[in-house]
Amino acid sequence: MQHYVNIIINSVFIENILLIYFLGMCSFLSISKKVETSIGLGLAVIFVLSITAPANWAINEYLLADGALSWAGLGHINLDFLQFIVFISVIAAMVQLVEMLMDRFSPALYVNLGIFLPLITVNCSILGTSLFLVEREYDLIESTVFGFGSGLGFFLAIVSLATVRKRMRYSNVPPTLRGVGMAMLLTGLISMAFLGFSGISL
Amino acid sequence: MQWLLKYILKIKPNFEEGQKLHWLYPVYEATETILFSTDEKTKSAPHIRDSIDIKRVMILVVITLIPCYIFGAINVGYQNAIALGIERSLIGNLIFGAITIVPIIAVTFIAGAFWEILFAIVRKHDISEGFLVTCALIPLTMPPSIPLWQLFIATSFGIVIGKEIFGGVGMNIFNPALTARCFIFFSYPSKISGDMVWLVGPDGYSGATALSVPATTKNSDAVTLLENVSQFDYSWLNLASGWIPGSIGETNKFIIFAAALILMAMKLISWRVILGGVSGLFAMAYVGNLIAPYTDNSMLSIPAHYHLVMGSFAFGLTFMATEPVTGSHTDTGRLFYGFFVGVLTVIIRSINPAYPEGVMLAILLMNAFASLIDYFVVKVNVNRRMSRYAQ
Repeated sequence: MQHYVNIIINSVFIENILLIYFLGMCSFLSISKKVETSIGLGLAVIFVLSITAPANWAINEYLLADGALSWAGLGHINLDFLQFIVFISVIAAMVQLVEMLMDRFSPALYVNLGIFLPLITVNCSILGTSLFLVEREYDLIESTVFGFGSGLGFFLAIVSLATVRKRMRYSNVPPTLRGVGMAMLLTGLISMAFLGFSGISL
Repeated sequence: MQWLLKYILKIKPNFEEGQKLHWLYPVYEATETILFSTDEKTKSAPHIRDSIDIKRVMILVVITLIPCYIFGAINVGYQNAIALGIERSLIGNLIFGAITIVPIIAVTFIAGAFWEILFAIVRKHDISEGFLVTCALIPLTMPPSIPLWQLFIATSFGIVIGKEIFGGVGMNIFNPALTARCFIFFSYPSKISGDMVWLVGPDGYSGATALSVPATTKNSDAVTLLENVSQFDYSWLNLASGWIPGSIGETNKFIIFAAALILMAMKLISWRVILGGVSGLFAMAYVGNLIAPYTDNSMLSIPAHYHLVMGSFAFGLTFMATEPVTGSHTDTGRLFYGFFVGVLTVIIRSINPAYPEGVMLAILLMNAFASLIDYFVVKVNVNRRMSRYAQ
């Protein structure tokens, strides 16, 4: 149990997928303008990650990895060059599912997220998580927990940036820096603060 | 002073709209309002009649910092005398310390004033007194042995990136003084990481800080370890009364506690942040003590009242975390904000082997989350009132 808690703490704070690895910046910068939408996107990412992480783990374990096909008597085949394309397809399918669910249950959020919802498919943090869990040789439960933790880290980072940007409405930023420029600077400052956790080993 | 006022009013037309020196108007305006009270009136509502204005608030905070400076100077001299193995009188210590820290203060204020005036001229806003507080705080957070060029770069970073690009005083998200400190911490770690003591002494003279003593020894009781240090006196009373090496302004906790009480009584800082911070520190230290027997980490066995006087927690909480702009803006939010500052400080101190001290990073992290706390406090309040009145 403690091991799984450690994985969650690790992926939320110490190795935050956004603020330490800088994966998934595009949606991070563009969706953080409004708090409500950023919460919606954060939840969508948590959902997609918690499904794709175990799914990709299973596909890698039983189809793609070196010697994974030995259950079918094909142990000499190594398909891991297909990792990227298969992972992306799985993610695309899951995002399609989220999109349909969201369209059905929360049309307002669906309209607000717009193009960025299908773009979760090519969100680096989702593919990154799948590749990390292969690299770190997690098992099924570890992968699920890690996927959820990464999603939670994404959620926390994007919502905190969105609330900071909300407070920034009172600020008087130089015109040339308004918008994405300021968001980049804020990201840098927030991840500087997050460095307080780096070095903790659980 | 009449002649000065007359002179200032005489040269005023040179700085008016359309005149040659108009681009220097912020400098003129700042000089005038610092020397004499302004005859300016508020143009739009709300109009509040009160004897306290931003300028007085800022100056009062700076006044409470002066004892920290004086003690800091004496302590720098005292630590230097110990390192050299000589006897020196109190006045001698003060003079030696003053010679060390006056250049540090001067460099900070020159860098701060340079950027503040530059931005005021280019962006056409008034020069704000806020930079005085920031520049008064930065030297107190620095070790006395800091190279002046590093200090200049750090102050520039803190003032420009931490404050000016947000539009100046009152609009920033991160505490500018801590941004400067954090920048120097990550850029030049060999000078400022905090695992070795900071003092002005002969080359090669060094020792472990109070926080790094239990961090480097496993499986022991922290208090015993601290009492066994022969080089410095790390007893509770001495840690609190500040005769230990450290950053210039943070060592004497009694002065800081007094400053905190005065500022709280004048309602310049929020007692909720202080209360939250101290209770967060005690709660987390207590949790650490409970799990200490099951680990080999001696940092977890530090009792809460030691945590309170070790490192710069008291200074950071009193002068940095309570800053009204960068903290939470709701009352309930302030309690949570302070609480998490305390909790995170103990967590970073105890379980992060990379950094012996965690106050700075805890406060910066909570600066980033302060508006998130506000958002949820407001949201909860809205929901509660809706459920009360919706029927």
